[in-house]
Formats: sequence, structure tokens, C-alpha cells
Amino acid sequence: MTAQAHPLAAHAGRRRFLTLATAILGAVGTAYVIVPLVETLEPDASVKAAAATTVALVPIEPGMQVTVPWQDKPLIVVNRTPEMLATLPAVEPLLRDPSCAVPQQPPACRNRFRSLKPQWLVMVRVCTHLCCTPLYKPRKGSVGPRWLGGFHCPCHGSLYDLSGRVFKGVPAPRNMAIPVYHFSEDEKQITVTAMYPESKLC
Amino acid sequence: MGRLTAWVDRRFPFSALVRTSMTEYYAPKNFNFWYFFGSLALFVFAAQIISGILLLAHYQPSAKAAFNSVQTIMYDVKWGWLVRYIHTTGASLFFIVIYLHMLRGYLYGSFKRPRELLWLVGVALYVCLMGEAYFGYVLPFGNMSYWGGEVITSIIAAIPYLGDWLASVLRGSFGVGTPTLTRFVAFHAVLLPALLAVLILTHLLALHEVGSNNPDGVEIREHLDARGRPVDGIPFHPYYTVKDMFGVGVFLVVFCAIVFYAPTFHGLFIETYNFSPANPLKTPPDVTPAWYLAPYYAMLRAVPNKAVGIGILFAAIIAPFLLPWLDYSPVKSSRYRPVYRWMVIAFALTLLALGWIGMQPATPALLLPARIFLALYFLFFLSLPLVSRLEPTRPVPQRISAS
Amino acid sequence: MIARLSVLFLALAVVAAHAAAQTTPLLSPPAAFDRATIRRGAQWFAQYCLSCHSVKWIRYDRLTRDLGFSKDAVRQELMFPGGAHFAQGMVPTLSARDAAAWFGVAPPDLTLEARLRGGAWIYTYLRSFYFDPTRPSGWNNHLFPDAAMPNVLAPISGIRDAKGRLIQRGRLTPRQVNQVIGAITVWLEYTSDPSKLERERLGPYVIGFALLLSVVAYLMKRAYWREVS
Repeated sequence: MTAQAHPLAAHAGRRRFLTLATAILGAVGTAYVIVPLVETLEPDASVKAAAATTVALVPIEPGMQVTVPWQDKPLIVVNRTPEMLATLPAVEPLLRDPSCAVPQQPPACRNRFRSLKPQWLVMVRVCTHLCCTPLYKPRKGSVGPRWLGGFHCPCHGSLYDLSGRVFKGVPAPRNMAIPVYHFSEDEKQITVTAMYPESKLC
Repeated sequence: MGRLTAWVDRRFPFSALVRTSMTEYYAPKNFNFWYFFGSLALFVFAAQIISGILLLAHYQPSAKAAFNSVQTIMYDVKWGWLVRYIHTTGASLFFIVIYLHMLRGYLYGSFKRPRELLWLVGVALYVCLMGEAYFGYVLPFGNMSYWGGEVITSIIAAIPYLGDWLASVLRGSFGVGTPTLTRFVAFHAVLLPALLAVLILTHLLALHEVGSNNPDGVEIREHLDARGRPVDGIPFHPYYTVKDMFGVGVFLVVFCAIVFYAPTFHGLFIETYNFSPANPLKTPPDVTPAWYLAPYYAMLRAVPNKAVGIGILFAAIIAPFLLPWLDYSPVKSSRYRPVYRWMVIAFALTLLALGWIGMQPATPALLLPARIFLALYFLFFLSLPLVSRLEPTRPVPQRISAS
Repeated sequence: MIARLSVLFLALAVVAAHAAAQTTPLLSPPAAFDRATIRRGAQWFAQYCLSCHSVKWIRYDRLTRDLGFSKDAVRQELMFPGGAHFAQGMVPTLSARDAAAWFGVAPPDLTLEARLRGGAWIYTYLRSFYFDPTRPSGWNNHLFPDAAMPNVLAPISGIRDAKGRLIQRGRLTPRQVNQVIGAITVWLEYTSDPSKLERERLGPYVIGFALLLSVVAYLMKRAYWREVS
């Protein structure tokens, strides 16, 4: 604004060049400072260390559900009885995604039971509609006269079967998410390590 | 671009502000080394705000969690060490920059008419900065934080009449604990930064109203050209913006050297005993204050009476406020005041000596030197009315002398 | 380099000042602050110290990133079988309450010890143990009289009496022992500020950039100021 009228053109060119050089250096430097500064806001190592949780299976009686807080979400482990497992094929015509085509579970869990072992359901109990926590309703007829057991969301009435698969005609779009987990060698406990990256909670 | 500016200008005085404060704000052309520190102070202030916000994102103000949350920043937060070292180094460099900036004011008489208010706001900024530093010092809740917190709140408690109440309001508890930390966070991260920002703005507004002083201490606005511009002035932008950019570059070299190679600065910038958690039952072997407050600490220890000592401490902080009315000399710059010049140098050395004494363990051997330097500190202010009247000054040039 | 040298010089001055004030002069560890030494120190530390002392702020997984240990090496050489988790801090299996019952005081966490006491102090302390039958543990220390800690390094260092005479030989020569203690000291200097490795790696680039910026800004300033008389 002030420096337009200088007699020496070469001098003005040098000045323009040096101003530009300083501006570029300043911008590059600022960018290099901003990146680490913003990265400080990422979850820290103590949060990451608490990312995995281990649940003992022995105290979970048949038909019982255990809820543990994991990554600020309700993680459930359900010990499903053979009768409960028998309801799964029966409800399939009524489900939105009975074959689990949407990747709401790790590939190893893409089956009717949505689990590594049919007996054990390990799931994040968060409704895919608007993030409410569905209720565990295992008893037959507890939600409606033809109810065979499953999960019922109190917020907007979404319904899921005992594998967390969503029924047709309810607001929730997808099956509930199955995290990445593995059994211990003695099969007495499971360790949940991560949310399956492609799954969506709500 | 031009249309956008025009759009904004019809609704907000953007171009007018740029003109009055940058491109048509005329600063004397003879600024020297000492004139870098104002813009550097602004730079450090910004660095402290940014790094402080990021630290606050992880800090937990409670007696149990504070120390651990600082260690989380150091060990578990990605780049956490960088942000904390920027903040601790920034704190100390802020004081270095401010002390040099103030010394410049003493040297060139920048507190004298018409800049009295500019000076008063500046000293108020310095006092706020001391408060800001003190609250920040307590937050990591290492053992030095704890005992520093104890000592200063007990100094407050010794103020007649109001002291006990004031101290209880500061601590919010019987000692320094969780209630203290929660309110210190409020003061350190909200109250004082806001106050500092307002005072900085006031300081700049006052500066632009009266214009900058200069090493010769002559008023450039008394010699205008045909278009009403000071003959010895140059537009702040671009001349001083490019010059200050260079100053920031050199400052960054020093700043980064400390952050990357000597972040604790051998116990001066981060105190060694602050690496152990606060322990109300165990005073560290030697409780010495942060270096930037050490001169006042030396004054406090030099007086054998608690109430008098604290009175002296407050007098020492208030004295610079009175400077514009203690100095009667018509000449501003120490360049033309041979006696005053040596007084300022002696004053700076006195502060350095007091600072050094304040950081030594409390031993009787240093008592006499501490008292001598304490007397010299006040002698500077007390002798000024007399010296400024009697002092033979050298002739001051009409205009800025060739640089 | 100059920055590093001046820091070194200052550090020496500080150490010298401290040493002058101590009754037992502090010795400087014969070990350099580099990854290889820190790794050796970590291994000795895990073997002799970690059963009682935690370094709880150091998570096992950062050792792979900072020091170049492989995950398997950390598992086999540093972690205790069972218990410890790879993402957790280095904490002994011994509980603090049991330890307090055995030693009278709980062995302190050592993560920040080198910041508090300095490397020279740790090195000298570990070298200053002597046999003292009047103490419940049978051990005493010149630098830290009546320390509760026994000389855990006795199997390698041997046993000395109060005058420094070797009563019983250890597995290693005195020179080797000093190197082991030096490596443990360097390891604790690392744990007290792991950012030091990263700082020293990045430092030259950051300062170099700031210097470049200063030079260019100075040339720019001169180009503008040419017309100011």
C-alpha cells in the first residue's frame, strides 16, 4: 500500500521477492506448528490403553446378559441358550438384513449368530436409530404377543432379534454393531479390543 | 478484493483502522535494539494463550489429579511435552522481554509527559503478569507449586485487617488444596488473560494516541512536513512490521533452542523440586521463588519484621507507578542526562543482584548485601526528584540525530 | 552442536556446584545418552529394579517406538510373564502395600527420579552400598545413610565393607559394574524425560528453520529500509 512509488524497478522486484519468500516461510512454519498442536487433542495413550476390556464368561449364567462400560458405551455379553438360538432362523423373514450384508460386524461374525461362538453374543448395545440403549427382552411375549425374544428400544420402538439384527418396519436402519473380540485360550474370558472400523453405531 | 473491502468498510472501519494504526501511524525512524521487545511481548502473549488452551484441554484441577494430569501431558499426550515446554519457556521469556521493555522505558524516559497513562497501564500489565505467573506456578501442583502457593497466600494473610479474609478467599480452604486449584484455574485461564488482553489493547490505544517515544526523547510530531506528516517519522507498516518480523525470527531461534535443548533451564524455568508431587508435610530443602519474582523475595527476607517486610514489598511494586511524578527533568532520554543514565544502570544491576540473592538459600551472610541493594532500589526512586532538578543535562537536538 | 555443548557446559557447572556442596562427591556416569545405552539400561533395570520399583509413566509400547525394541524383545526381556499389559505403564507385580511391609517404606516410583536428583546422584548412590551388619537389611549407603534399599546389584558387583574393600567378589569386574550402573542411570534419565530423544532429533531442523526465517526477514527488512535516510 505504501511502497508502490520507488524509482528503482530492480530494487522493487527484489523487495517483492523477499516479501514473498518471508511470507511463504512464515506460512510453512505456521503449518508445521499447527499440525502438532492440533494433534495434542487426539485421544492420549492412557485412553488408548483403556481401549481394550476383558470380560469373564464363567459368572454369566445361561440366558443372562452382562453389561460392561467399554469406550463409554454399553458392551453386552449374552449367554444364549439353545432355545434362544432356535428363535434366530424363525424370525429371519421379518428382518431387514438377515444375512448381515451391511458390515456391522467383523467378517468372522457374519453369520446368523453374529458371533465367533453361537452361544456367546458380544455386542455394543446402541440402537442404530438415534443412539439410545435398547432393553434386553429375552422372554417370549414380553414385547408383543408374537415376540420370541430380542432387544426393544424404549425411545422410538426399534426392535432387534437375539443376534441384534433389526426388524423391518422400525425406525432403526441397521443391525447393532459387533466389536472386534477374541476368546482367551481356556475360553473362560473374552477380550474386546476395538470397534469394527466399518461398523456404524448410530 | 477491493469490493469486499468496500463492503466491509461501509459496515466496519477496517481500512480506517489499518490506516490509523499501521500505514499512516508514524513512528520515529531511529528505533534501536530496545524497541523489539514490545512486539515480542505481544508474540509471547499469543504463544502463551494458544499453548495454554491446549494444556487446559488436559489439565485436571484437583489436589489428587493435578500433578498426574501434568505427567499425562508429558508422557501420554502426543506432542504434549512440546506444548508444555512452550508454555513454561514462554512464561520465563515473557518476563525477560517485559523487563527489557520496561528498562527501555526507564532509559529513554518513555514514562514522561505526555505518556504517563501509557506508562501506568504498562506497569499495571506487569503487575497482572506477576499474578498470572503466580497462579500458573501453583497449577502443576508439584512440591514447589504447593509451597509457593502456601508462602504467597500467607504473605497476603499478613495484610492488616483484610489479610486473613483475603487469604481464605484465595485458598478457599484451610490450606492450598483442590478448592485453591479450581479457583486458580479460573484466575489463570480466564480472569487474568482477559484482563491482560484488555490492558494490552488500552496500552496500544494510548501509545497510538501519544505516539512512540525514541532513543533521543524528542517529539517527532513537533516537526511536520507540508502534508502534516512527521519529518522524522516513517509509517509503522511496512517499515517496522518487517523489522519486527526479523526480531521475531531471532527470538524464535532463542525460544526453540531452550524448548529443544534446555527446557528446564537447569531448574530456573521448571523448578527441580516440582518434579515431586505436592506434599503438605515436607518442605523442599530450599524454597526459592521463580527467578522473575526473586528480587521481591530478597526484599522480603531482608527485613526482620513480617508486617514491615510485606509493606516494603508492596512499596517496591507501587514505586514504578509513581515514576512520571518523581522525575522533574524536562529532558527525556538518558542520552542527554549523564547522572540519570548511571542511575538507571545502577538500578538495573541492583535488581539483578536482588534477583540473585533471592535465589540463594536463606543464609545470614547475604543479609547485609540484601539490605544494601534494597536501600539502593528505593534510593533510585527517592533521589529522583532531587537529581532531576539539579542534574546538568546535555543539549537535546531539535530533531532526531543522524542514526 | 553449540547449543548442545553450552548445555553440557552448564550442566557440568551445575553438577560441579552440587558436588561441591555434597559430603560424598558425586561421580558422573561413564555412559552416553543414546538408544543403545538406554536399551541396555532398560534390560538391567527390568532384571534388578523393576521387581520393586515402578516407572509407571513409561508404557511398554513406547519402548518400541522410542528405543527400537521389537515387540517380542519387550515381551521377553522387559515384561514379567503374565500380568503386565503392553499398553500399560511399567509397574512391578509386587504390590505397594507388601513392599511397604517388607522394606518399611514403599519403594518409590522412579520415573522422575533423575529429574529430582540428577543422573550423577543415582549413579553415585548405586555405587555407594556397603555391608553393614547393624542394619536390618545388612546394607548401608555412603550417599544416602540408612537407606531402606538393599544392594540388589550385589550378585554382579560383589560386597564391599564401609572402607570400600571387596569382601566378596561379584560376577562382573568393577569396570563392567560401573558400566551397568551407568546404563541404568541413563535409562532413568530417559524415563524422566523421554521427549529428549525426540527433541534432539528435531532440534537442528527447527532451529535451522528459525535461522533461515531470520536471515530472509533480515534481507527483507534491509530491502525496505534502503530508502529510509
